[in-house]
Amino acid sequence: MTELVPTLVVLVPAVPVLGMLLALLARSPRQADAAAIATAIPTAVGALVLAAVALARGGQPPLRGHWYLIDGASAVLLAVVAVVGLCSTLVSPTYLRTGGRSWTTAARSHSLYYAALFLFWATLLAVPLIGNLAAAWLIVEATTAASALLVAFSGRRDALEAGWKYLLLTTLGLSVAFLGIIVLAIGQANAGHHDLHALDWHALALAAHTMPRGPTLIAFVLLLAGLATKIGWAPVHNWLPDAHSEAPPPISALLSAALLPSVLLIAWRVKDILEPSVGTATTHAVFIGLGLASMLVAVPFLWRSLPWKRLLAYSSLEHMGIIGLGIGFGTPLAIAGVVLHVAGHALAKALGFYAALPLLRIQPATASRAPEGVLGDSPATATAMGVSLIALAGLPPSPLFLSELLILLGGFAAGDVLVSAVAVVALALGFLGLLHALMESVIGDQGRRRRRRSREERPIVALTAILGMGMLACGLAGVLLLPGSGFVDALARGAL
Amino acid sequence: MNAVLVTVMLSIGLAVIVVRRRSVGILLLAAQSLALGVIAIGLAGGHSGEFLIAGVLLAKAVVLPALLYLLIRRTPEASLVLAAAGPIVRLAAAGAAALCAVLLVPPLGLGAPHTEHAAFALVLVGIAIVVLRRPILFQLLGLIVAENGLSLLAVSVPGGLSYVVEFGALFDLALIVTVAAAFAQRIHTDLGTGDTELLRGLRD
Repeated sequence: MTELVPTLVVLVPAVPVLGMLLALLARSPRQADAAAIATAIPTAVGALVLAAVALARGGQPPLRGHWYLIDGASAVLLAVVAVVGLCSTLVSPTYLRTGGRSWTTAARSHSLYYAALFLFWATLLAVPLIGNLAAAWLIVEATTAASALLVAFSGRRDALEAGWKYLLLTTLGLSVAFLGIIVLAIGQANAGHHDLHALDWHALALAAHTMPRGPTLIAFVLLLAGLATKIGWAPVHNWLPDAHSEAPPPISALLSAALLPSVLLIAWRVKDILEPSVGTATTHAVFIGLGLASMLVAVPFLWRSLPWKRLLAYSSLEHMGIIGLGIGFGTPLAIAGVVLHVAGHALAKALGFYAALPLLRIQPATASRAPEGVLGDSPATATAMGVSLIALAGLPPSPLFLSELLILLGGFAAGDVLVSAVAVVALALGFLGLLHALMESVIGDQGRRRRRRSREERPIVALTAILGMGMLACGLAGVLLLPGSGFVDALARGAL
Repeated sequence: MNAVLVTVMLSIGLAVIVVRRRSVGILLLAAQSLALGVIAIGLAGGHSGEFLIAGVLLAKAVVLPALLYLLIRRTPEASLVLAAAGPIVRLAAAGAAALCAVLLVPPLGLGAPHTEHAAFALVLVGIAIVVLRRPILFQLLGLIVAENGLSLLAVSVPGGLSYVVEFGALFDLALIVTVAAAFAQRIHTDLGTGDTELLRGLRD
């Protein structure tokens, strides 16, 4: 199967680009919907096949080509981006039919929405595949333009504010990261490596031992500070709650479940390649500091009575913090937890955002306030919200229970007892906050309301079943495969 | 020659944070981008690829200001947007940011500390412009000033940064500025002004 890899690596991001062109050529909203679904299915299948081929290699060296590199982390992320992208495309016709006003004219809104969505998806699929730091940066920068337009798609004032803030802050953050890349390029140029491949992950990993510490440390700090802005790590997370809450729900799912971990993968690789020069203590401290800060900043908001999507946004901040913490610990246990957490969080969070579609129809006021007693209005929507909240809170059998346990055990194994203890407290408080939201928003006061017809609830029932089974499968894979596997050991070694 | 132009670039960056009129800000940006293009030509050293990049940077000095000028024609302001802080305070803050760059950035290996410091200072001044200026167009100018700082460092890399990366970064910048211009126009239509102070509805 590995002979298929070079072809799939080209096709996986190319097919959604084709989908973007088809969407722009569509003459009616119905045509745009059909073209989108027809393109999304082969895109997801191709990406999943590629991910499966890479995962089947276990702990073997990454698949490498002239411009691509696929290791275990790439494969997991590719699968996540494929699944969330497919689901977001499939629910988009419902959003466009019922979502109200848009920035553009009604006649063109479907075409332009899908064009931006497919451009965004194509760039997200390319990030885990690309074998070069500078090229990865270029692709992440390109995600900003498409996703900013999608965040502000409704054209409402709050959406414009969120989109503008997102565009401005993440572009500035990425500028700082690019400064770090240029500093690395100067070092490589002084060592006689001038072309694009001097910034390949593999080339940087080979050169890291001979890089001078001072400039490399500057590059590392700049890269992490810049990427943290796009990941949404505290204290540079200001855009995250606004963008996630104002974007259309299918886009919020992509932002939270696919974009944030995609940029996190780049940060993780930067850590792996620069660690020999910068020192383990420094990389360790930076990741743990950013991760713990994000968790601690998020927890008070998880206790507040917030609109549904805003609550999920702060939960994203918490979960990116947990993943950062796991990468910082760096032990095989913690890395196993990180891999499982990326997959489990993506499915749980995507389901939560998809549940916002029927929720906003049932209780339109929940765009600006916390929902109440959704169970009384729509049992199916309440079930989706409940499954998402329970999974995000880390209640068994959620895969996040296992992943958080692995990360914390990894922290204790790494000797970071105090940090792990603080993380346990933060996780417990976050758990209680989400449980509180479950009681108030989902169960709450159910009287006096009209139940929805079951037909309207079919899409969210199907999504709950599919993503719920996906989460159970993730948990099972975590139990059977991850701890102690060659796959995890290779990731923990940082073998690029 | 280059040291003078680099100083000119930094001075223009500091001027953008002070000026009141949007048209003057755009003219200053054009001048800064022009200085960057001339520096890039000087550093090209007979390599056709580097000359091409210098040409693109010079084209940027014309195209982006023209796009921004079109934007201010389409988004007329009835009166100047009130500043959150006075020009002296803004200049002092940007100057402090530039000074931090000079004091904190160690030698990076270019062999041209003035360029290294100026590039970092320009990025920080660009960020200061975004933070301290309320009009949406000035925030956009801040982004481009920061990008000019990046381009200054990129063209100064011995042997040049890869063409793919330089062209890619310029393409991304063009994409971002186009999207930002669309935002600016839409926000102006919605609010009747480009004052970002009015975009403060999202708070927890």
